[in-house]
Amino acid sequence: MFLTRSEYDRGVNTFSPEGRLFQVEYAIEAIKLGSTAIGIQTSEGVVLAVEKRITSPLMEPASVEKIVEIDSHVGCAMSGLIADSRTMVDKARVEAQNHWFTYNEQMSVESVTQAVSTLRLSLEMTTAEKELCRPFGVALLFGGVDVKGPQLYHLDPSGTFFQYDAKAIGSGSEGAQQALEEVYHKSMTLREACKSSLTILKQVMEEKLNATNVELGTATPDKKFRMFTKEEIETLYKRSNNYNSVQTNRNTLWHLVFIK
Amino acid sequence: MNSERPVQQYFSPYTFNGGTVLAVAGEDFSVIAADTRLSQGFAIHTRDSSKDVQTLCGKTNSTVLGCAGFHGDCLTLTKLITARLQMYEHEHGSKMSCPAIAQMLSTVLYYRRFFPYYTYNILAGLDNEGKGCVFSFDPVGSYERETYRAGGSASALLQPLLDNQIGFKNQQGATEVPLTKDKAVFLVKDVFTAAAERDIYTGDAVIISVITKDGVTEEAFPLRRD
Repeated sequence: MFLTRSEYDRGVNTFSPEGRLFQVEYAIEAIKLGSTAIGIQTSEGVVLAVEKRITSPLMEPASVEKIVEIDSHVGCAMSGLIADSRTMVDKARVEAQNHWFTYNEQMSVESVTQAVSTLRLSLEMTTAEKELCRPFGVALLFGGVDVKGPQLYHLDPSGTFFQYDAKAIGSGSEGAQQALEEVYHKSMTLREACKSSLTILKQVMEEKLNATNVELGTATPDKKFRMFTKEEIETLYKRSNNYNSVQTNRNTLWHLVFIK
Repeated sequence: MNSERPVQQYFSPYTFNGGTVLAVAGEDFSVIAADTRLSQGFAIHTRDSSKDVQTLCGKTNSTVLGCAGFHGDCLTLTKLITARLQMYEHEHGSKMSCPAIAQMLSTVLYYRRFFPYYTYNILAGLDNEGKGCVFSFDPVGSYERETYRAGGSASALLQPLLDNQIGFKNQQGATEVPLTKDKAVFLVKDVFTAAAERDIYTGDAVIISVITKDGVTEEAFPLRRD
Protein backbone atom coordinates (compact mmCIF):
# COMPACT_ATOMS: atom_id res chain seq x y z
CA MET A 1 0.00 0.00 0.00
CA PHE A 2 2.77 2.44 0.89
CA LEU A 3 4.99 1.56 -2.06
CA THR A 4 3.33 3.97 -4.44
CA ARG A 5 3.66 6.83 -1.95
CA SER A 6 4.71 10.09 -3.56
CA GLU A 7 3.93 13.79 -3.21
CA TYR A 8 0.27 12.78 -3.54
CA ASP A 9 0.18 11.71 0.10
CA ARG A 10 0.36 15.31 1.35
CA GLY A 11 -2.83 17.11 0.44
CA VAL A 12 -6.20 15.89 1.70
CA ASN A 13 -7.91 17.14 -1.42
CA THR A 14 -5.56 15.72 -4.01
CA PHE A 15 -6.22 12.33 -5.53
CA SER A 16 -3.25 10.18 -6.49
CA PRO A 17 -3.13 9.08 -10.14
CA GLU A 18 -4.53 5.71 -9.04
CA GLY A 19 -7.47 7.57 -7.57
CA ARG A 20 -6.62 7.31 -3.89
CA LEU A 21 -6.65 9.80 -1.06
CA PHE A 22 -3.62 8.86 0.98
CA GLN A 23 -4.33 11.11 3.97
CA VAL A 24 -7.69 9.43 4.42
CA GLU A 25 -6.08 6.02 4.15
CA TYR A 26 -3.43 7.01 6.70
CA ALA A 27 -6.17 8.24 9.01
CA ILE A 28 -7.78 4.82 8.80
CA GLU A 29 -4.36 3.38 9.67
CA ALA A 30 -4.17 5.71 12.68
CA ILE A 31 -7.21 3.98 14.14
CA LYS A 32 -5.24 0.75 14.26
CA LEU A 33 -2.90 2.37 16.81
CA GLY A 34 -5.78 3.18 19.12
CA SER A 35 -7.14 1.11 21.98
CA THR A 36 -9.67 -1.59 21.12
CA ALA A 37 -13.38 -0.82 21.23
CA ILE A 38 -16.19 -3.33 20.70
CA GLY A 39 -19.89 -2.92 20.00
CA ILE A 40 -22.50 -5.68 19.87
CA GLN A 41 -26.12 -5.24 18.84
CA THR A 42 -28.61 -7.74 20.23
CA SER A 43 -32.39 -7.81 20.16
CA GLU A 44 -32.43 -6.68 23.82
CA GLY A 45 -30.00 -3.78 23.48
CA VAL A 46 -26.56 -2.64 22.40
CA VAL A 47 -23.35 -3.01 24.40
CA LEU A 48 -20.28 -0.84 23.93
CA ALA A 49 -16.97 -1.86 25.56
CA VAL A 50 -13.53 -0.26 25.33
CA GLU A 51 -10.10 -0.88 26.73
CA LYS A 52 -8.45 1.98 28.61
CA ARG A 53 -4.69 2.18 28.36
CA ILE A 54 -3.39 3.12 31.76
CA THR A 55 0.17 4.09 30.83
CA SER A 56 1.32 4.89 34.36
CA PRO A 57 0.22 3.76 37.82
CA LEU A 58 0.13 7.46 38.72
CA MET A 59 -2.55 8.08 36.10
CA GLU A 60 -6.14 8.49 37.25
CA PRO A 61 -8.10 5.79 35.35
CA ALA A 62 -11.45 7.54 35.78
CA SER A 63 -10.20 10.49 33.72
CA VAL A 64 -9.84 8.32 30.62
CA GLU A 65 -13.24 8.53 28.97
CA LYS A 66 -13.74 6.58 25.77
CA ILE A 67 -17.47 5.92 25.92
CA VAL A 68 -19.64 9.01 26.07
CA GLU A 69 -23.34 9.74 26.11
CA ILE A 70 -24.74 11.51 23.03
CA ASP A 71 -28.36 11.64 24.15
CA SER A 72 -30.26 9.67 26.78
CA HIS A 73 -30.77 6.86 24.22
CA VAL A 74 -27.44 6.90 22.33
CA GLY A 75 -23.87 6.26 23.43
CA CYS A 76 -20.62 6.46 21.50
CA ALA A 77 -17.41 4.45 21.86
CA MET A 78 -14.23 5.62 20.18
CA SER A 79 -10.76 4.56 19.15
CA GLY A 80 -7.87 6.56 17.72
CA LEU A 81 -7.04 10.20 18.39
CA ILE A 82 -9.52 10.82 21.18
CA ALA A 83 -9.04 14.61 21.01
CA ASP A 84 -10.41 14.55 17.45
CA SER A 85 -13.61 12.98 18.69
CA ARG A 86 -14.51 16.03 20.80
CA THR A 87 -15.71 18.04 17.82
CA MET A 88 -17.75 15.12 16.54
CA VAL A 89 -19.27 14.18 19.88
CA ASP A 90 -20.22 17.83 20.33
CA LYS A 91 -21.82 17.89 16.87
CA ALA A 92 -23.70 14.67 17.61
CA ARG A 93 -25.02 16.05 20.91
CA VAL A 94 -26.13 19.33 19.36
CA GLU A 95 -27.86 17.54 16.48
CA ALA A 96 -29.64 15.14 18.85
CA GLN A 97 -30.93 18.00 21.00
CA ASN A 98 -31.88 20.03 17.94
CA HIS A 99 -33.89 17.10 16.62
CA TRP A 100 -35.72 16.77 19.92
CA PHE A 101 -36.34 20.53 19.99
CA THR A 102 -37.82 20.64 16.49
CA TYR A 103 -39.68 17.34 16.31
CA ASN A 104 -40.31 16.37 19.96
CA GLU A 105 -38.95 12.88 19.32
CA GLN A 106 -35.61 11.19 19.84
CA MET A 107 -33.22 11.20 16.91
CA SER A 108 -32.56 7.82 15.33
CA VAL A 109 -29.09 6.35 15.71
CA GLU A 110 -28.67 6.33 11.94
CA SER A 111 -29.48 10.04 11.73
CA VAL A 112 -26.99 10.87 14.50
CA THR A 113 -24.30 8.98 12.61
CA GLN A 114 -25.32 10.63 9.36
CA ALA A 115 -25.08 14.09 10.95
CA VAL A 116 -21.56 13.42 12.23
CA SER A 117 -20.44 11.96 8.91
CA THR A 118 -21.31 15.20 7.10
CA LEU A 119 -19.04 17.03 9.55
CA ARG A 120 -16.19 14.73 8.63
CA LEU A 121 -16.68 15.39 4.98
CA SER A 122 -16.89 19.16 5.32
CA LEU A 123 -13.68 19.35 7.33
CA GLU A 124 -11.85 17.19 4.87
CA MET A 125 -12.93 19.46 2.06
CA THR A 126 -12.08 22.83 3.58
CA THR A 127 -8.73 24.47 3.01
CA ALA A 128 -7.45 27.78 4.29
CA GLU A 129 -10.33 29.11 6.41
CA LYS A 130 -10.69 26.31 8.88
CA GLU A 131 -7.96 25.41 11.32
CA LEU A 132 -8.31 21.66 10.88
CA CYS A 133 -7.88 20.46 7.33
CA ARG A 134 -6.99 16.85 7.78
CA PRO A 135 -9.29 13.89 8.26
CA PHE A 136 -10.23 13.02 11.81
CA GLY A 137 -7.98 10.32 13.22
CA VAL A 138 -10.73 8.57 15.12
CA ALA A 139 -13.32 5.88 14.45
CA LEU A 140 -16.64 5.88 16.29
CA LEU A 141 -19.17 3.24 17.28
CA PHE A 142 -22.66 4.66 17.85
CA GLY A 143 -24.89 2.38 19.90
CA GLY A 144 -28.43 3.23 20.86
CA VAL A 145 -32.11 2.44 20.77
CA ASP A 146 -34.69 4.10 18.53
CA VAL A 147 -37.99 3.23 16.84
CA LYS A 148 -36.25 0.47 14.90
CA GLY A 149 -34.93 -1.05 18.15
CA PRO A 150 -31.30 -1.45 19.23
CA GLN A 151 -28.90 -0.12 16.58
CA LEU A 152 -25.12 -0.17 16.17
CA TYR A 153 -23.31 2.01 13.62
CA HIS A 154 -19.62 2.28 12.78
CA LEU A 155 -18.21 5.52 11.37
CA ASP A 156 -14.65 5.64 9.98
CA PRO A 157 -12.35 8.63 9.20
CA SER A 158 -13.47 8.73 5.56
CA GLY A 159 -17.01 9.54 6.72
CA THR A 160 -18.35 6.20 5.55
CA PHE A 161 -20.73 4.49 7.96
CA PHE A 162 -22.38 1.09 8.13
CA GLN A 163 -24.70 -0.72 10.48
CA TYR A 164 -23.24 -3.77 12.21
CA ASP A 165 -24.45 -6.65 14.36
CA ALA A 166 -21.03 -6.57 16.02
CA LYS A 167 -17.96 -4.49 15.29
CA ALA A 168 -14.46 -4.06 16.73
CA ILE A 169 -12.18 -1.08 16.08
CA GLY A 170 -8.67 -0.17 17.25
CA SER A 171 -5.39 -2.05 17.62
CA GLY A 172 -6.94 -5.43 18.42
CA SER A 173 -9.75 -5.06 15.90
CA GLU A 174 -8.65 -7.81 13.52
CA GLY A 175 -8.58 -10.55 16.15
CA ALA A 176 -11.58 -9.14 17.97
CA GLN A 177 -13.65 -8.99 14.79
CA GLN A 178 -12.84 -12.64 14.08
CA ALA A 179 -13.78 -13.57 17.63
CA LEU A 180 -17.03 -11.59 17.30
CA GLU A 181 -17.88 -13.41 14.09
CA GLU A 182 -17.47 -16.68 16.00
CA VAL A 183 -19.48 -15.85 19.10
CA TYR A 184 -22.21 -13.70 17.54
CA HIS A 185 -25.62 -15.19 16.91
CA LYS A 186 -28.96 -13.52 16.27
CA SER A 187 -30.58 -14.73 19.51
CA MET A 188 -27.77 -13.43 21.73
CA THR A 189 -28.96 -11.91 25.02
CA LEU A 190 -27.60 -8.58 26.22
CA ARG A 191 -25.98 -10.28 29.20
CA GLU A 192 -24.21 -12.72 26.86
CA ALA A 193 -23.09 -9.81 24.69
CA CYS A 194 -21.67 -7.95 27.72
CA LYS A 195 -19.77 -11.05 28.80
CA SER A 196 -18.50 -11.75 25.27
CA SER A 197 -17.32 -8.17 24.84
CA LEU A 198 -15.25 -8.44 28.04
CA THR A 199 -13.89 -11.87 27.11
CA ILE A 200 -12.84 -10.66 23.69
CA LEU A 201 -11.31 -7.48 25.11
CA LYS A 202 -9.37 -9.63 27.56
CA GLN A 203 -8.06 -11.71 24.69
CA VAL A 204 -6.82 -8.77 22.66
CA MET A 205 -5.55 -6.48 25.44
CA GLU A 206 -1.86 -6.36 26.20
CA GLU A 207 -2.39 -5.58 29.87
CA LYS A 208 -4.38 -7.83 32.17
CA LEU A 209 -8.03 -6.88 32.13
CA ASN A 210 -9.57 -5.57 35.38
CA ALA A 211 -12.48 -3.37 36.37
CA THR A 212 -10.44 -0.16 36.09
CA ASN A 213 -8.98 -0.57 32.63
CA VAL A 214 -12.20 -1.23 30.74
CA GLU A 215 -15.33 0.82 30.21
CA LEU A 216 -18.71 -0.70 29.41
CA GLY A 217 -22.02 0.89 28.52
CA THR A 218 -25.37 -0.44 27.32
CA ALA A 219 -28.37 1.03 25.56
CA THR A 220 -31.69 -0.74 26.13
CA PRO A 221 -35.28 0.21 25.28
CA ASP A 222 -36.30 0.63 28.94
CA LYS A 223 -33.19 1.99 30.66
CA LYS A 224 -31.87 3.90 27.62
CA PHE A 225 -28.12 4.50 27.63
CA ARG A 226 -26.12 3.91 30.81
CA MET A 227 -22.55 3.24 31.83
CA PHE A 228 -21.66 0.27 34.03
CA THR A 229 -20.14 1.07 37.40
CA LYS A 230 -16.81 -0.39 38.45
CA GLU A 231 -18.61 -2.89 40.71
CA GLU A 232 -20.94 -4.02 37.93
CA ILE A 233 -17.99 -4.62 35.61
CA GLU A 234 -16.27 -6.57 38.38
CA THR A 235 -19.19 -8.97 38.91
CA LEU A 236 -19.70 -9.34 35.17
CA TYR A 237 -16.02 -10.08 34.73
CA LYS A 238 -16.00 -12.70 37.48
CA ARG A 239 -19.00 -14.45 35.98
CA SER A 240 -17.53 -14.45 32.48
CA ASN A 241 -14.27 -15.80 33.95
CA ASN A 242 -16.02 -18.85 35.37
CA TYR A 243 -17.73 -19.35 32.08
CA ASN A 244 -14.42 -19.05 30.30
CA SER A 245 -12.56 -21.66 32.32
CA VAL A 246 -14.47 -24.26 30.29
CA GLN A 247 -13.04 -22.85 27.10
CA THR A 248 -9.56 -22.09 28.39
CA ASN A 249 -7.80 -23.95 25.65
CA ARG A 250 -9.33 -21.89 22.93
CA ASN A 251 -8.67 -18.67 24.79
CA THR A 252 -5.00 -19.32 25.26
CA LEU A 253 -4.79 -20.09 21.61
CA TRP A 254 -6.36 -16.73 20.82
CA HIS A 255 -3.97 -15.07 23.19
CA LEU A 256 -0.97 -16.44 21.36
CA VAL A 257 -2.28 -15.18 18.06
CA PHE A 258 -2.82 -11.65 19.35
CA ILE A 259 0.38 -11.17 21.33
CA LYS A 260 2.32 -11.98 18.22
CA MET B 1 -45.17 75.91 1.69
CA ASN B 2 -45.85 75.85 5.38
CA SER B 3 -49.14 74.15 4.72
CA GLU B 4 -47.26 70.91 3.94
CA ARG B 5 -47.46 68.86 7.04
CA PRO B 6 -45.70 65.60 7.76
CA VAL B 7 -47.68 62.66 6.47
CA GLN B 8 -47.44 59.35 8.22
CA GLN B 9 -47.12 56.41 5.84
CA TYR B 10 -48.68 53.09 6.67
CA PHE B 11 -47.73 49.60 5.64
CA SER B 12 -50.29 46.98 6.38
CA PRO B 13 -48.85 43.58 5.61
CA TYR B 14 -51.86 41.58 6.71
CA THR B 15 -55.44 41.10 5.54
CA PHE B 16 -58.08 38.78 6.88
CA ASN B 17 -59.51 36.36 4.34
CA GLY B 18 -61.82 34.48 6.67
CA GLY B 19 -62.25 30.74 6.72
CA THR B 20 -63.07 28.31 9.49
CA VAL B 21 -61.33 25.07 10.36
CA LEU B 22 -62.47 22.35 12.71
CA ALA B 23 -61.01 19.04 13.82
CA VAL B 24 -62.22 16.17 15.96
CA ALA B 25 -60.19 13.22 17.25
CA GLY B 26 -61.75 9.80 17.81
CA GLU B 27 -60.33 6.56 19.14
CA ASP B 28 -58.78 5.36 15.86
CA PHE B 29 -59.66 8.18 13.46
CA SER B 30 -59.72 11.93 13.20
CA VAL B 31 -61.86 14.31 11.18
CA ILE B 32 -60.78 17.73 9.94
CA ALA B 33 -62.95 20.15 8.00
CA ALA B 34 -62.68 23.64 6.50
CA ASP B 35 -64.98 25.81 4.42
CA THR B 36 -63.97 26.91 0.92
CA ARG B 37 -64.95 30.60 0.97
CA LEU B 38 -62.15 33.11 0.48
CA SER B 39 -63.28 36.66 1.20
CA GLN B 40 -62.04 40.15 2.00
CA GLY B 41 -64.42 42.60 3.67
CA PHE B 42 -67.80 42.26 1.97
CA ALA B 43 -66.31 40.76 -1.19
CA ILE B 44 -65.94 37.08 -1.95
CA HIS B 45 -62.79 36.28 -3.95
CA THR B 46 -63.61 32.64 -4.57
CA ARG B 47 -66.15 30.08 -3.43
CA ASP B 48 -63.81 27.20 -4.17
CA SER B 49 -60.61 27.73 -2.23
CA SER B 50 -59.39 24.22 -1.52
CA LYS B 51 -56.19 25.57 0.00
CA ASP B 52 -57.72 25.63 3.45
CA VAL B 53 -57.08 21.98 4.02
CA GLN B 54 -53.88 20.50 2.75
CA THR B 55 -53.05 16.84 2.92
CA LEU B 56 -49.49 16.76 4.17
CA CYS B 57 -48.45 13.13 3.91
CA GLY B 58 -49.18 10.28 1.54
CA LYS B 59 -50.98 7.01 2.18
CA THR B 60 -49.22 5.98 5.39
CA ASN B 61 -49.08 8.11 8.50
CA SER B 62 -51.44 10.72 7.09
CA THR B 63 -51.69 14.12 8.66
CA VAL B 64 -53.84 17.01 7.46
CA LEU B 65 -53.30 20.69 8.25
CA GLY B 66 -56.15 23.16 8.36
CA CYS B 67 -55.12 26.77 7.90
CA ALA B 68 -57.26 29.94 8.11
CA GLY B 69 -56.57 33.67 8.39
CA PHE B 70 -54.45 35.57 5.85
CA HIS B 71 -54.45 33.49 2.67
CA GLY B 72 -50.96 34.55 1.58
CA ASP B 73 -49.48 33.34 4.86
CA CYS B 74 -51.54 30.13 4.63
CA LEU B 75 -50.06 29.40 1.21
CA THR B 76 -46.49 30.11 2.27
CA LEU B 77 -46.79 28.19 5.52
CA THR B 78 -48.29 25.07 3.95
CA LYS B 79 -45.67 25.17 1.21
CA LEU B 80 -42.91 25.48 3.79
CA ILE B 81 -44.30 22.62 5.88
CA THR B 82 -44.63 20.41 2.78
CA ALA B 83 -40.99 21.11 1.92
CA ARG B 84 -39.87 20.38 5.48
CA LEU B 85 -41.74 17.05 5.42
CA GLN B 86 -39.95 16.07 2.23
CA MET B 87 -36.58 17.07 3.73
CA TYR B 88 -37.27 15.05 6.85
CA GLU B 89 -38.13 12.02 4.77
CA HIS B 90 -34.88 12.33 2.84
CA GLU B 91 -32.80 12.89 5.96
CA HIS B 92 -34.30 10.31 8.27
CA GLY B 93 -35.77 7.75 5.88
CA SER B 94 -39.28 7.77 7.33
CA LYS B 95 -42.41 9.87 7.20
CA MET B 96 -43.00 12.36 10.00
CA SER B 97 -45.52 11.39 12.64
CA CYS B 98 -48.36 13.76 13.47
CA PRO B 99 -46.90 14.73 16.91
CA ALA B 100 -43.55 15.47 15.23
CA ILE B 101 -45.21 17.68 12.61
CA ALA B 102 -47.01 19.48 15.45
CA GLN B 103 -43.76 20.25 17.24
CA MET B 104 -42.14 21.37 14.00
CA LEU B 105 -45.06 23.64 13.12
CA SER B 106 -44.80 25.17 16.58
CA THR B 107 -41.10 26.01 16.13
CA VAL B 108 -41.70 27.26 12.58
CA LEU B 109 -44.39 29.62 13.91
CA TYR B 110 -42.35 30.74 16.89
CA TYR B 111 -39.35 31.62 14.70
CA ARG B 112 -41.64 34.33 13.29
CA ARG B 113 -42.46 35.54 16.80
CA PHE B 114 -42.11 39.25 15.89
CA PHE B 115 -43.58 39.15 12.37
CA PRO B 116 -45.93 36.21 12.70
CA TYR B 117 -47.76 34.22 10.07
CA TYR B 118 -51.35 35.43 10.41
CA THR B 119 -52.73 31.91 10.42
CA TYR B 120 -54.91 29.82 12.69
CA ASN B 121 -53.68 26.25 12.40
CA ILE B 122 -55.22 22.95 13.34
CA LEU B 123 -53.51 19.68 12.67
CA ALA B 124 -55.26 16.30 12.58
CA GLY B 125 -53.90 12.79 12.14
CA LEU B 126 -53.04 9.65 14.01
CA ASP B 127 -50.40 9.42 16.74
CA ASN B 128 -47.67 6.80 17.10
CA GLU B 129 -50.12 4.39 18.78
CA GLY B 130 -52.68 4.80 15.98
CA LYS B 131 -55.03 6.92 18.10
CA GLY B 132 -56.72 9.94 16.57
CA CYS B 133 -55.03 13.21 17.46
CA VAL B 134 -55.75 16.90 17.00
CA PHE B 135 -53.32 19.74 17.70
CA SER B 136 -54.41 23.37 17.83
CA PHE B 137 -52.06 26.34 17.48
CA ASP B 138 -52.09 30.05 18.04
CA PRO B 139 -50.36 32.24 15.41
CA VAL B 140 -47.05 32.28 17.34
CA GLY B 141 -46.74 28.56 18.01
CA SER B 142 -48.35 27.84 21.36
CA TYR B 143 -49.93 24.43 20.88
CA GLU B 144 -51.89 21.77 22.66
CA ARG B 145 -53.21 18.29 21.93
CA GLU B 146 -56.99 18.19 22.20
CA THR B 147 -59.92 15.96 21.24
CA TYR B 148 -61.77 18.68 19.32
CA ARG B 149 -61.10 22.27 18.32
CA ALA B 150 -62.49 24.97 16.03
CA GLY B 151 -60.26 27.72 14.64
CA GLY B 152 -60.50 30.77 12.40
CA SER B 153 -63.41 33.04 11.60
CA ALA B 154 -66.36 31.18 13.16
CA SER B 155 -64.39 29.47 15.92
CA ALA B 156 -66.26 31.37 18.63
CA LEU B 157 -69.54 30.06 17.23
CA LEU B 158 -68.42 26.46 16.80
CA GLN B 159 -66.41 25.85 19.96
CA PRO B 160 -69.32 26.04 22.46
CA LEU B 161 -71.36 23.75 20.20
CA LEU B 162 -68.54 21.20 20.20
CA ASP B 163 -68.12 21.58 23.96
CA ASN B 164 -71.75 20.62 24.31
CA GLN B 165 -72.01 17.87 21.70
CA ILE B 166 -68.60 16.18 21.97
CA GLY B 167 -67.36 17.25 25.40
CA PHE B 168 -70.84 16.86 26.99
CA LYS B 169 -70.25 20.18 28.77
CA ASN B 170 -73.07 22.37 30.14
CA GLN B 171 -75.58 19.53 30.11
CA GLN B 172 -77.39 17.98 33.01
CA GLY B 173 -77.44 14.22 33.35
CA ALA B 174 -75.73 13.63 30.02
CA THR B 175 -74.43 10.14 29.30
CA GLU B 176 -71.00 10.33 27.71
CA VAL B 177 -70.89 8.01 24.74
CA PRO B 178 -67.68 7.61 22.71
CA LEU B 179 -67.73 9.38 19.37
CA THR B 180 -68.07 7.29 16.21
CA LYS B 181 -66.72 8.30 12.82
CA ASP B 182 -70.19 8.71 11.28
CA LYS B 183 -71.42 10.77 14.24
CA ALA B 184 -68.37 13.02 13.97
CA VAL B 185 -68.89 13.68 10.23
CA PHE B 186 -72.61 14.24 10.82
CA LEU B 187 -71.83 16.72 13.60
CA VAL B 188 -69.26 18.58 11.49
CA LYS B 189 -71.86 19.12 8.73
CA ASP B 190 -74.39 20.39 11.25
CA VAL B 191 -72.11 22.84 13.01
CA PHE B 192 -70.77 24.23 9.72
CA THR B 193 -74.34 24.75 8.48
CA ALA B 194 -75.04 26.62 11.71
CA ALA B 195 -71.89 28.74 11.38
CA ALA B 196 -72.69 29.61 7.74
CA GLU B 197 -76.01 31.06 8.96
CA ARG B 198 -74.33 33.53 11.29
CA ASP B 199 -70.83 34.21 9.90
CA ILE B 200 -70.37 35.97 6.55
CA TYR B 201 -66.80 34.66 6.27
CA THR B 202 -67.94 31.03 6.38
CA GLY B 203 -69.96 29.39 3.62
CA ASP B 204 -70.14 28.00 0.06
CA ALA B 205 -68.94 24.49 0.93
CA VAL B 206 -67.10 22.53 3.55
CA ILE B 207 -64.44 19.96 2.75
CA ILE B 208 -64.31 17.16 5.29
CA SER B 209 -61.26 14.88 5.52
CA VAL B 210 -61.50 11.67 7.51
CA ILE B 211 -58.17 10.16 8.55
CA THR B 212 -57.87 6.49 9.46
CA LYS B 213 -55.02 3.99 9.31
CA ASP B 214 -56.04 3.29 5.70
CA GLY B 215 -55.48 6.89 4.60
CA VAL B 216 -57.50 10.05 4.01
CA THR B 217 -60.96 10.24 2.44
CA GLU B 218 -62.27 13.62 1.35
CA GLU B 219 -65.86 14.74 1.04
CA ALA B 220 -67.40 18.09 0.04
CA PHE B 221 -70.67 19.26 1.59
CA PRO B 222 -72.51 22.38 0.29
CA LEU B 223 -73.23 25.36 2.56
CA ARG B 224 -75.15 28.67 2.10
CA ARG B 225 -73.74 30.69 -0.78
CA ASP B 226 -75.02 34.17 0.24
